[in-house]
Amino acid sequence: MTLRELVERHQIVISAGSGGVGKTTVAASIALWGALAGRRAVVITIDPARRLASSLGVETLGHDAREIPATYFTAQGLGAPRGSLAAMMLDQKGAWDALVERHAPAEARARILANPFYQHLSQTFAGSQEYMAIEQLCVLAENGAYDLIVVDTPPTRHALDFLEAPTRIGDFLDRKVVRWFVRPYFSAGWSALRAMNRTAGFLLRRLEQATGMSALAEISDFFTSMSGLFENFQPRVERAYKVLRGAETAFVLVTGPEEQVLGDAEYLSTKMAELHMPLKGVVFNRVHREYRPAGRGARRGELGPEDAEQVARAVARALGGATGEAAELAANFVDYQALARGESLRLEMFRAGLPRAVPVVQVPNFARDVHDLASLAEMHAHLFGGKATVG
Amino acid sequence: MPASLLERRLHFVVGKGGVGKTTVAAALALTLARRGRRTLGVEMEPGGRLAGLLGPEVRAGLHVLHVDGRAALEEYLNLVIPVKRLLATVLQSKIYQYFVAAAPGLKELMTVGKIWYEATRTEGGRPAWDAIVVDAPATGHSLQYLRMPQAARETFGAGLVQREATKITNLLRDPRATAVHLVTLAEEMPVIETLEMRAQLTGALGLPLGHVIVNRLHRRRFDPASVERLHAAARMEPSAERALLHCVAERAAEESGWSDINAANLARLHAGIGDAPLIELPFLFVEEFGCAELEQTARLLEAGMAGRAEPAARRRSRSS
Repeated sequence: MTLRELVERHQIVISAGSGGVGKTTVAASIALWGALAGRRAVVITIDPARRLASSLGVETLGHDAREIPATYFTAQGLGAPRGSLAAMMLDQKGAWDALVERHAPAEARARILANPFYQHLSQTFAGSQEYMAIEQLCVLAENGAYDLIVVDTPPTRHALDFLEAPTRIGDFLDRKVVRWFVRPYFSAGWSALRAMNRTAGFLLRRLEQATGMSALAEISDFFTSMSGLFENFQPRVERAYKVLRGAETAFVLVTGPEEQVLGDAEYLSTKMAELHMPLKGVVFNRVHREYRPAGRGARRGELGPEDAEQVARAVARALGGATGEAAELAANFVDYQALARGESLRLEMFRAGLPRAVPVVQVPNFARDVHDLASLAEMHAHLFGGKATVG
Repeated sequence: MPASLLERRLHFVVGKGGVGKTTVAAALALTLARRGRRTLGVEMEPGGRLAGLLGPEVRAGLHVLHVDGRAALEEYLNLVIPVKRLLATVLQSKIYQYFVAAAPGLKELMTVGKIWYEATRTEGGRPAWDAIVVDAPATGHSLQYLRMPQAARETFGAGLVQREATKITNLLRDPRATAVHLVTLAEEMPVIETLEMRAQLTGALGLPLGHVIVNRLHRRRFDPASVERLHAAARMEPSAERALLHCVAERAAEESGWSDINAANLARLHAGIGDAPLIELPFLFVEEFGCAELEQTARLLEAGMAGRAEPAARRRSRSS
């Protein structure tokens, strides 16, 4: 299978990888490809990706899907899309607040929104943002407005937080534990707890004193007010995994060629397999191309540092004798060869560890910032082996 | 400006994901250890790469510690709840697990607290470490950690935690003791994030800024006319030479392109950071980043921090 077929056959494409590898750009380029080929595509990003917004010709990305006007396509020389392209930014805080609005009794809302535990849960609890992203993805997948949904996952070091988010938040909001917190003695304070269980009460009081946190009372207040929501949390988690593991969903790993980045990628792909969310495609982004002399076999290192002088002589001949400049040009070439050779070896080893059926593409390290639709479309030749067919 | 930031005791190395923070932290730790200071490298994320990078260098005078909020909390509770059997009961209880997961900022506070502890710990009457280098997590996450002591100080009523949070805040804010170094690339998004991070660090947090370290700079430029001439000449050559010469021309254009991007963004960075001392580290053209490259980075970093001009001859790593 090619990456092109992979995208054609899936409704949901999730771009995963560590920070700084170009996930957002790859995600946007895939969605653009879909739109040009006639699909109703949407790209969803997690962080306020201003550059993505500006490259799509909109001022900012909102929490509602915003359609990119066809005039912007034509202004960029792309031709009107046969389908459509929309973009949106997930707002995890807003999504949590919406849950509170929906489930908390009116008189408790303001108190919940100001509850430190709630703020922690909605803003910093590991997996919480990611979980909300998946919830919103489920809604989009089910309402049928789009037939290609491309998700740019959060910039976590290991995108695992994203994949494990439903389990983690499900365990966290475990009904049995939550029930425990909803019992009245928590809201009543420590004295009541101490009466119930002297040892536990004593220890927990020490714990709170030692850390200075009154977290338990806050947790209790939160769950007491929100009990309706958490009674039914497990089915939501199961629904999320059904979407993530569904036949309609394809995980595409985006990685750079650096040793450390590839190490992260390898770890991620192993973990994904364990979670039954195997990656179905790989994009090696920002790769330096290696020059391999034709007709001399594919043996490596044939044009290495030892050949610098030979290259310099050839360049000098071609330039008509400018030896100083020729030496500089040759040295630069040899430097890039070293870089490319290392990358190519690492990518080959990485590839050897992947199942054969997984398509792998390479996108070169363009010496420019991606700043408009046209530059997103330039990636198509490398991702999909050609331009999208435009009607 | 202080004489040399190398004299500070506590160094935080922060920056956007993928800019080379860990490499810079490792090089800094190596530099400090080479100057005869007992140095501790601290990593804050599971699976951190600092230990791996410094691995071959770990020896007397250079150690690496992984700080984990949960473990740090247990250690702390060990100090405040001396009865071991009771402590074990607490640690195993489900409610404790919950407390740790849910209490806002607790793990962050304990992580920074542990770093403070190491920074102030004494052994045989003298400080256990002369220098501590922290390989901090990506930007937003780092801010959460660095903000915690102050937040704790303001949030908690008078008590043990408030007193400790005050001590930690005082150390972090002390410009004689602490420096927060910002690592970035001279590209659009990293520069934007660096400027925002700087504003937050020096603004509400009031932390002493160290160096701004610009990593992986391309600085060669080729005359576009020569590149074009090379392309044109290549077309006249026999096929074997032709492919090679085209490739040489393309790489020259690539290097010029990155040099231009770097120069433009370096200018934006300069305009944004004011008089903060800036260190430039060159892009290293190597197959693998190994010990030799770490050494080279450490030398350049030391020269930059000591205010010496960077020797141009060391631009490329391979001495041919």
